[in-house]
Amino acid sequence: MNLLTLLLALPLAGFLIALLLPRSSPHASRTWALGISLLTFVVSLALPAMFDRGAAGNQFTLDVPWISTPEIHYHVAVDGVGLWLLLLSTFLTPICVLISWRSIQNRVKEFFAFLLLLEFGLIGVFIAQDLFLFYVFWEVSLVPMYFLVGIWGHERRIYAAVKFFLFTMAGSVLMLAAIIYVYNRAGTFSYPVLLDMLQSGRLSFAPQEQLYLFLAFFIAFAIKVPIFPLHTWLPDAHVEAPTAGSVMLASVMLKMGTYGILHFCLPLFPSASRRCAPWIVVLAIIGIIYGALVSMVQPNMKKLVAYSSVSHLGFVILGIFSFTQLGLDGAVYQMLNHGISTGALFVLVGLLYERRHSLEIKDYGGVSTVAPWLATVFLITTLASIGLPTLNNFVGEFLVLQGAALANYTWAVYAAIGVILSACYMLWLYQRVFYGEAGEQVRSHLPDMNLREWAAVVPLVVMMVWMGVYSQSFLPPVSKTTARVLSQAQVNVPFQVQLRPNTEVARAR
Amino acid sequence: MPSSITEVYFPVLVQGVIAIVLAAALIVLSYVLGKRVKNKIKDTPYESGITPTGDARSRFSVKFYLVAMLFILFDIEAIFLYPWAVVYRELKMFGFIEMLVFVVLILSGFFYIWRKGALDWSYSDRARGKR
Amino acid sequence: MPVSNFVNPADLVRFLPEIILTVMGTLLMVLDPVLHKRSSYAFGHLSLLGLAAALVASVYAFRDPGPAFGGMLMVDGFATFFRVLVIGVGILTILPSYRFLARHDAETSEYHALLLYSIAGQCLMVSANELIMIFLGLEISSIASYILAGYLRDDKRANESALKYFLLGSFATGFFLYGVAFIYGSTGTVNLTSVHAALTGPNAPSPVFVGVAAALMFVGLAFKVSAAPFQVWAPDVYQGAPTPVTAFLSAGPKAAAFAIFLRIFMTSFQPIANGWEPLVWGSALLSMTIGNFAALLQSNVKRLLAYSSIAHAGYVLVALTARSDVGTAAAMFYLAAYAFMNVGAFAVVSHLSGRGERYQNVDDFAGLGQKQPLTAAMLTIFLLSLIGVPLTGGFFGKFYIFKAALESHLVWLTVLGLLNSAVAAYYYLRLLVMMYMHEPSEAATNAEPLSFGLSAALILPALGTLVLGIFPSWVLEFAGRSSNLVK
Repeated sequence: MNLLTLLLALPLAGFLIALLLPRSSPHASRTWALGISLLTFVVSLALPAMFDRGAAGNQFTLDVPWISTPEIHYHVAVDGVGLWLLLLSTFLTPICVLISWRSIQNRVKEFFAFLLLLEFGLIGVFIAQDLFLFYVFWEVSLVPMYFLVGIWGHERRIYAAVKFFLFTMAGSVLMLAAIIYVYNRAGTFSYPVLLDMLQSGRLSFAPQEQLYLFLAFFIAFAIKVPIFPLHTWLPDAHVEAPTAGSVMLASVMLKMGTYGILHFCLPLFPSASRRCAPWIVVLAIIGIIYGALVSMVQPNMKKLVAYSSVSHLGFVILGIFSFTQLGLDGAVYQMLNHGISTGALFVLVGLLYERRHSLEIKDYGGVSTVAPWLATVFLITTLASIGLPTLNNFVGEFLVLQGAALANYTWAVYAAIGVILSACYMLWLYQRVFYGEAGEQVRSHLPDMNLREWAAVVPLVVMMVWMGVYSQSFLPPVSKTTARVLSQAQVNVPFQVQLRPNTEVARAR
Repeated sequence: MPSSITEVYFPVLVQGVIAIVLAAALIVLSYVLGKRVKNKIKDTPYESGITPTGDARSRFSVKFYLVAMLFILFDIEAIFLYPWAVVYRELKMFGFIEMLVFVVLILSGFFYIWRKGALDWSYSDRARGKR
Repeated sequence: MPVSNFVNPADLVRFLPEIILTVMGTLLMVLDPVLHKRSSYAFGHLSLLGLAAALVASVYAFRDPGPAFGGMLMVDGFATFFRVLVIGVGILTILPSYRFLARHDAETSEYHALLLYSIAGQCLMVSANELIMIFLGLEISSIASYILAGYLRDDKRANESALKYFLLGSFATGFFLYGVAFIYGSTGTVNLTSVHAALTGPNAPSPVFVGVAAALMFVGLAFKVSAAPFQVWAPDVYQGAPTPVTAFLSAGPKAAAFAIFLRIFMTSFQPIANGWEPLVWGSALLSMTIGNFAALLQSNVKRLLAYSSIAHAGYVLVALTARSDVGTAAAMFYLAAYAFMNVGAFAVVSHLSGRGERYQNVDDFAGLGQKQPLTAAMLTIFLLSLIGVPLTGGFFGKFYIFKAALESHLVWLTVLGLLNSAVAAYYYLRLLVMMYMHEPSEAATNAEPLSFGLSAALILPALGTLVLGIFPSWVLEFAGRSSNLVK
């Protein structure tokens, strides 16, 4: 059996069986979800072990016809980027199960069923090589997240869930139109075949056509990332979601957007991507600085972390649209970093919330005296998020800035402001929550971490250090893939490092 | 064979004359032979007792409409028999079977309205219980 | 003339579904006064039996496709597809009706007989190859459904519904008939294929007359499918009619009307397609927009689904605008998917609404997910399909329709249609929100447990929706093979 198919089948089977479990014993659902998600993770570990790191193309390919008219295939494969994002999803799902162990008390069965369905959708998004199949998984992952936010979220959960669904839906219908258009032009949904046709010149889009198609895809992805003016759903969804929902949303779902841009937009529409790059970079830089500034003034911890995501994802977009090898590598690495460190932040904020039942920063203070271990882990995560050398974010941000500097020095300068600001808001958050005088509420309600919570947090911390210290475990397959994307993005486009004069960037002020 | 228009329509004329003569004869005869009682009631248009004057917007029982509709339905169905009668020699067995089917359909409709009590002027309790 | 000219056994086989339905309907009517009230379930069983027999007969008739009765009927893949579809809708309508009729103390055989007659009319419509036959089928189907809409005689809203449906419906039929008269006057024939030949032939009639005829028939048919700007009746009628009947109205007659819409416009009027395309284009866009935006404001679920049904008529019209075989096939597929999800959704409404149809508001669905997880899960599948989420029939239907539209270079219609479907997500989500994210309402708490018939009426369409969403090939291939209507 194809390994990727097995990876899809496990959570799907887990979801279906979870639905059949008796409602009366929530513990069975928890245990089942933990077991199946751990199993999925263990199986997924075989992927990097068996992955041929020297090859740039798709691996573990399985291509069988699914629907005959129009020809749609069940075509799955991973490349060097999809590989790590898939692992990120399988890695985080058991952690999400662990942190939801106690905090989810009503409709437990459905919660864990939806979590497994979400994992199914996310894995599918990263391995689908058929445009249609990709769209299917893209939408399928939307449904469980909608329910996760809407049923188990906080006070304004319904507003947040509906907003999330509608934003994403509005973007994805445009993408659907573009996918159908591409199919009608090329006669196939198969992504590798499409790229082949583009490379060999059997298929080419007129500039205007390419621009519209690019925008249709890009808007769908940009909403998911989210890129600056389209980000308004994100703080709502993040804040209202239950902890596991926030973690999956921030760590993996946002990456669906950046993955889509990297995987589809650039190779399919190279010249339109380059034409739009300066504008997109401006938006990315606005996102970096705006996200950071807004984070700084947030009274709510989750909202702060949510806005910091807007800022961090700006780096990813900047890296991608620098069109340099370093920038692209850095962007991919930053996707993974953000998944780990922001995921960890949401987990830790969730732990605080479980104890104190508040997300307001002013309700805390002096936590480090009552829960020193929690404070230690939080500090490591904070430092990782800021981009301290030897921790993961540093590598990604460094590469992105380097790539951006190669493309246009000014971009790097503006983006670097974001790094500085991130140190400000994160450290300030840390100071206000963990230092100072511990209030009565904090002292009586904040036990330190228990074994289950350690089990959830330690893997994240280990990954932060590993990815910060030895990036060579991860980067080679990524570079192979990004190099290929970069060469595909140069079809019919004269390569130029200096893309445009700096006038657009100046508007960012 | 008759050739001119006059010849064609002559029988019609004869029939018309007979009709007029017959009608006139009947009226005259009843006038001459009839026994007459003169009083107020006998002079009203409807001897059966219905008042000839009153509000034009008087209400009729809904049953009249029902009967009228049923009458129209069955009347139209009966009309179908005439063209059939003209050509049934040519249609042979087919025509016979078709008409049987048609009549069976009419009869089942008739059976339905009958058992439903639509023809029951007093709308018996038996029929009411069905609804 | 020899007898064999009149009775051809093959003709009778091709006409068998209609015969079975009519005989069964008549039998039911005759049985009603004979049987006792206690055996009222027998009516339901009998009509299910009749429908099943008609279903088998439709499939059997397709083994030997061809014209019947001197070209008045045409049993081809297209006709068989829609025959099976409308009969299937009939079965799915009867299943939830058991409980509904018992609850309203209105178990008579007329209900079932009228349903069978209406379906017989629809079968005749979809297999007719002649304008007069189409008209006859349309009338048989419509008159029966007018009565069905007012079936609950003591309900004022049902009366209003039936009266509106009857008055506006007859008006629309009049338009259609007027168009038929114009066609006959200008071409001298009512046979669809001959009309096509006459329009392309050397002595083509004046385009003015043909255009007027096409416009008149468009008005009549647009009314029957509740497409804008002739959609005004739909919300009132759908809201007032008994819920199982509403389910039926929104799927059966609509599918049949779309079938003749496609047949007439893709066969007879195919030569003047350039003339009617803008008309249908506008109607499609208007239907989608009016339906979706009006549905946003509704609080009554039946009304909401009525507006959604208008919007869905718009999507199917998009397929017609494509004017291609692919478009026809897409429309066929969509109507099948739509029948499943819509009948299923109405079955849930019928289940929940209670005696006197008290609970029909969006709020009444609150907490259904907690009280009746199975019902809620099924409705979720239908709603997701109505939204157009992948792996459901509704999604593939939309996908094929917009694919066909893009193939015919209808870029704007596609983009606007797809954006419309994003708007539509909002009002379907409201129901999902209510079911899963609110505390149980009075209606959800008091809801009776699912009966066997209702479970079947929910699970069968849900399965159908999922099968059409995951393995759409066989239905689509059949539709694709049958969609070449121009002979």
